[in-house]
Amino acid sequence: MNRKYTFFAVLFLIVTTLVAPLQLAAGEAASIHNKQLIYDEAGLLSQEAYNELNALANQYGVENETDIIIVTVNNESAIDVKRMTQGFYDEHAPGYDKPHGNAVILTLDMHARELYLAGFYKAKLYLDDKRLDRIRDQIAPDLTAGNYKQAFETYIQTAHEYMGFKPGVNPDNPFYKVWVQLGISVLIGGIIVTAMVYRSGGRVTVNARTYEDAASSGIIDNEDTYLHTNTTKRKIEKSSSGGSSGGGGTTSGGHSHSGSRGSF
Amino acid sequence: MPVIAYKCPSCGSGMVFDVETGTLSCHSCGRQDNIEHISDPLTQHVFAEEDEAQEYHCTSCGAVIMTDAKTSATSCSFCGSAVVLGDRLTGKLAPVKIIPFSVSKEQAMKAFRKWCRRGTLTPRGFMSANRIKGITGMYVPFWLYDLHNEVEVHGSGTKVSIYRSGEYEYTKTDYFQIYRKIGLNYTKVPIDAAEKMNDELMDKLEPFAYERLESFKTPYLAGYVAERYSYNDEELLPRAKDKIYEYINGYINSTTTAYSSVSYADVQIDTVIARADYVLLPVWVIHYDYKQSKYTFAMNGQTGKVVGKPPISKAKVAAWFAGVSAISFLAMQLLTFWMIGGTTW
Repeated sequence: MNRKYTFFAVLFLIVTTLVAPLQLAAGEAASIHNKQLIYDEAGLLSQEAYNELNALANQYGVENETDIIIVTVNNESAIDVKRMTQGFYDEHAPGYDKPHGNAVILTLDMHARELYLAGFYKAKLYLDDKRLDRIRDQIAPDLTAGNYKQAFETYIQTAHEYMGFKPGVNPDNPFYKVWVQLGISVLIGGIIVTAMVYRSGGRVTVNARTYEDAASSGIIDNEDTYLHTNTTKRKIEKSSSGGSSGGGGTTSGGHSHSGSRGSF
Repeated sequence: MPVIAYKCPSCGSGMVFDVETGTLSCHSCGRQDNIEHISDPLTQHVFAEEDEAQEYHCTSCGAVIMTDAKTSATSCSFCGSAVVLGDRLTGKLAPVKIIPFSVSKEQAMKAFRKWCRRGTLTPRGFMSANRIKGITGMYVPFWLYDLHNEVEVHGSGTKVSIYRSGEYEYTKTDYFQIYRKIGLNYTKVPIDAAEKMNDELMDKLEPFAYERLESFKTPYLAGYVAERYSYNDEELLPRAKDKIYEYINGYINSTTTAYSSVSYADVQIDTVIARADYVLLPVWVIHYDYKQSKYTFAMNGQTGKVVGKPPISKAKVAAWFAGVSAISFLAMQLLTFWMIGGTTW
């Protein structure tokens, strides 16, 4: 008869263990195609790091049907980083589904130490200005510190992660994290079961009203004396994400895109 | 003779109080006598405090009645006759009122079995409730307090308001001095006066419906066990205060809800016993053996409410925990799927 209860236990185990294999299975199907997604003209990466990141970008690109591209340039002729990104898209015609298709591009201008993120088509929808800003905020410190490989890896992973969220949803809301949800459900289970154990011995079902003689009880006298007032003021913080963010635009080839711009 | 027994005037058998009819009834011949019309022997005999006998003899068979010092009604262990020990119910020990049993032994057993079956965390072997070792109908001594409280509170409170003006956010805090004088009267607060009864258990048995409080008459005790009080009303006042102070503090807080924060510098509660009545309240005490351990449960003999800590099955606790957690997790995953249009794995 205890089967009914073990059923729930097993169900719980299945749900939690399902998480891991699905993730693996999704990963394996990917790395078949291996096209060039990283254009490291500034030579920031070792061959080893390049191979690793290019493979990662290919793998995640398949899942999102979007090319995740990185462009680094020394930019001696000092072209604007946004225009350079637009130029790259028009010229190279990247895209997962077709030339000039779905792509997200990270451009690093090593001359002006500026970066620009642009999302085209599907990536424009799923990686809007706000989400690109979030990615930029996450990678800028690593770029400043010169940890380019780490920054690129974060960019690839975060772009992939954010594309899993419906447009318009805040992807960094902690509620969407699996481990947060697991924690909350364990907490709920714990609270409910504790309450059940506590209540198994019977509860007190009388309250303050039960024995109170309302007719003869009440406030006899009360006094509220005003003493003084204390006022403090605080300047309201402007909610700006720092740095200059240009947002999106349209390339001269007529492809509109989302964008985020900043320095590092 | 301090021992009172009720013999049927028709056939001579012992008579006991019957729950259904509320009469003193004879199980042999079916005679039923209205309790109101029976002359109470206690009103005729007066027993001096010093007369308290060390030994009681059953009026039916003459055997010595085995009781402990606090028992005021029981049955003879040899012949089973219901006996009432009169000298433990007079003078200072005379109960003022009584709530007679309204749940019979059969109903009590049935209700207890039902309660066991409903236990969501109790082991299966316990739920069948087939090891009830004993069930005793007991009149437990209680003090019913009428307590008058005069409460004086001094303290301070703040009212906080937040508003915006231009680029600034202002937090305005007004400070007040507070004074409250409150009269709070509580009536018939029950505190059990039997040493052997668990206080926590007895507290959970409440509430009793006081409409059924009757003037005390000894025939109500026939067929049941009754205890005399172990502590007088003065000795139990601290427990009564503990019980109502929680209510009083709640009342004080309810008078200062207009403030954002309150701190009480001085709270004085002056409690006076306006009245304390010694009453007997009906409780079914159930002893239960489960896996070499003894469990004691109590049932309100008037309302049928069952209290007492049952054994807890670890397997069931684990299963409920896993089940509830799994369902919450699935629900959150579904919600997430619906909100973000995909999984987060």
